[in-house]
Amino acid sequence: MCVEAHSTGREPGGRERFTDPPIGRAMRILVVEDDTKTASFIKKALRAEGFAVDVCHDGHDALHLAETTPYDALVLDIMLPGRDGLSILRHLRDRRNGVPVLLLSARGEVNERVDGLNAGADDYLPKPFALAELIARVRAMGRRANEPRTTVLQVADLTLDTVTRVARRGETTIELTAREYRLLEFLMRSPGRVCGRMSILEKVWDYDFDPGTNLVDVYVRRLREKIDSGSRTRLIHTVRGVGYVLKPMP
Amino acid sequence: MRIRTRLSLWYAAVMLASLSLMGALSYYQFVRQRSGEPGQQESLSGRGDQGRLPQRDERPDAARKSEPRAERPVGGGRRHGLFAEVMTILGRVGIPAMVMAVAGGWWLMRRSLAPVEALTRAVERTHERNLRQQLPRSGNGDELDRLTEVFNAMTARLDQSFQEIREFTLHASHELKTPLTVMQGEIETACREESLTDVQRDRLLSQLDEVQRLAKIVDGLSLLTKADAGQVSLARDPVQLDELLREAFEDMQHLGQSENLAVTLTACEPVVVHGDRHRLRQLLLNLADNAVKYNEPHGRATLSLRRVGPEAELVFTNTGPGLPRDQQSRVFERFFRGDASHSSAVEGSGLGLSIVEWIARAHGGSVLFESGAGTLTTVTVRLPVV
Repeated sequence: MCVEAHSTGREPGGRERFTDPPIGRAMRILVVEDDTKTASFIKKALRAEGFAVDVCHDGHDALHLAETTPYDALVLDIMLPGRDGLSILRHLRDRRNGVPVLLLSARGEVNERVDGLNAGADDYLPKPFALAELIARVRAMGRRANEPRTTVLQVADLTLDTVTRVARRGETTIELTAREYRLLEFLMRSPGRVCGRMSILEKVWDYDFDPGTNLVDVYVRRLREKIDSGSRTRLIHTVRGVGYVLKPMP
Repeated sequence: MRIRTRLSLWYAAVMLASLSLMGALSYYQFVRQRSGEPGQQESLSGRGDQGRLPQRDERPDAARKSEPRAERPVGGGRRHGLFAEVMTILGRVGIPAMVMAVAGGWWLMRRSLAPVEALTRAVERTHERNLRQQLPRSGNGDELDRLTEVFNAMTARLDQSFQEIREFTLHASHELKTPLTVMQGEIETACREESLTDVQRDRLLSQLDEVQRLAKIVDGLSLLTKADAGQVSLARDPVQLDELLREAFEDMQHLGQSENLAVTLTACEPVVVHGDRHRLRQLLLNLADNAVKYNEPHGRATLSLRRVGPEAELVFTNTGPGLPRDQQSRVFERFFRGDASHSSAVEGSGLGLSIVEWIARAHGGSVLFESGAGTLTTVTVRLPVV
């Protein structure tokens, strides 16, 4: 299920076009993580997604690598031997190095998240995280800078006007509550990609904690009823254990 | 009886006894002085006052023999006069002295026991979160000072133990996150294998669910442990509580849909509190979620926000099986999940209400839980309005 979601995502959208490297060159990522097993599965997953991945287990080495190699993104653990992630990040930002950075942390506390974002991180992911969530965020970081912000989003026959906030499926206008609108916009901004529950809670609800409820599932179910009822092609799909994906699939 | 009263009474009794003894001795002294006059001694000793018996031997034989018998009745009248005189002196001087002594004793007692009262009040105020506050010592090296010192040493040891437990939990929850990350990552990686059969994939996904559940518990636990250790800092921004409640109301309607719950917002007065927006939303969502989870199909749930004097009063009620009265005091305990029927039917970490209580307290407020068989379950949160 996960495989499908990711592999189909690369084709029609042609997302790589929007990332920094020119077409044909894979995005190059440095993963800095002291736990070898964690580093290993992150590397495996990112490679499977078509990224070129370097791994580093020590803070000093990581800083050296980041300063000498033009990476497209950094996945940076906070707790590291040698030099901690936040200090590496501050050092890079002090030297006007704007490489997108995704911070990882096992402490996962609000303060830490705020500290990380203040230090110049582009995103923050508390451990334990869903792998799909990590991949989605790394992609989003690479994309963020260059992607044009269109005002009308379209997936199959579903359109969403982000100015008038009107959603249409074919000829039918769909009534949405404020939160349903935000949820749909979030899903439509990365069609074909899995959106993890954590990202949805963060972006749609502005929750920086896991409320331990099935809130997201309930809203998605409701949204799905509004969007997919009466259509032969279903658009919203569940990726069990991870989140949701929006793509045309019968 | 209080120590102060008891000691004062004892003091008064000793004082009375010593005054009586002094009176008796003075009386005897007077009598002896007068016994130098002829005809006095024999009759006096003849009265058989036991206290004075041994002194009879001291009297010279010559004096005794020369006593004229005729003097006796006169001597008896004088003795009565003398006794009355001594009693008068004792009454005029002794009683005021007694009163002064008792009052003085009372005052002294009060003064010297004041540190005990202070110590009692300080000990009453001591709980597991303020063990680091040492009681003030007088520094004069007396017994009470020593007691304070010993008490301080004891709280320091307790604080150390609490600290160790907290650190243990903190480290444990932190250490658990790395293996959980690895497990979750590897299960997800395994799910991507295209050669998996549906049964194998289902099995892996079920494992993934459990790992995620465990991760949630570890998250909640580490949040509460950090809060215990005072390591979580909260924002102090003005928060429009009624807006947050309207959001929670919408979420609650959605959450209750599958059970056909009737959710109503009975009051929503505009109230601003100073606090942490995220945490207050967490509090509201936890309560909304509980009101839905512990409800019954086609049940009811209400929520309201009113301003009551200097406080914002949030009330969540829900129908449902409720909780026996004897278990209600335990709802804020970590991992308390009610009786067996509750635990198996409802999914959750058992930390929701503990987190609610922490958030309310951290904002200077309180939570009250009321329930009973066949009645509404009511949770009331009071937060100070600035």
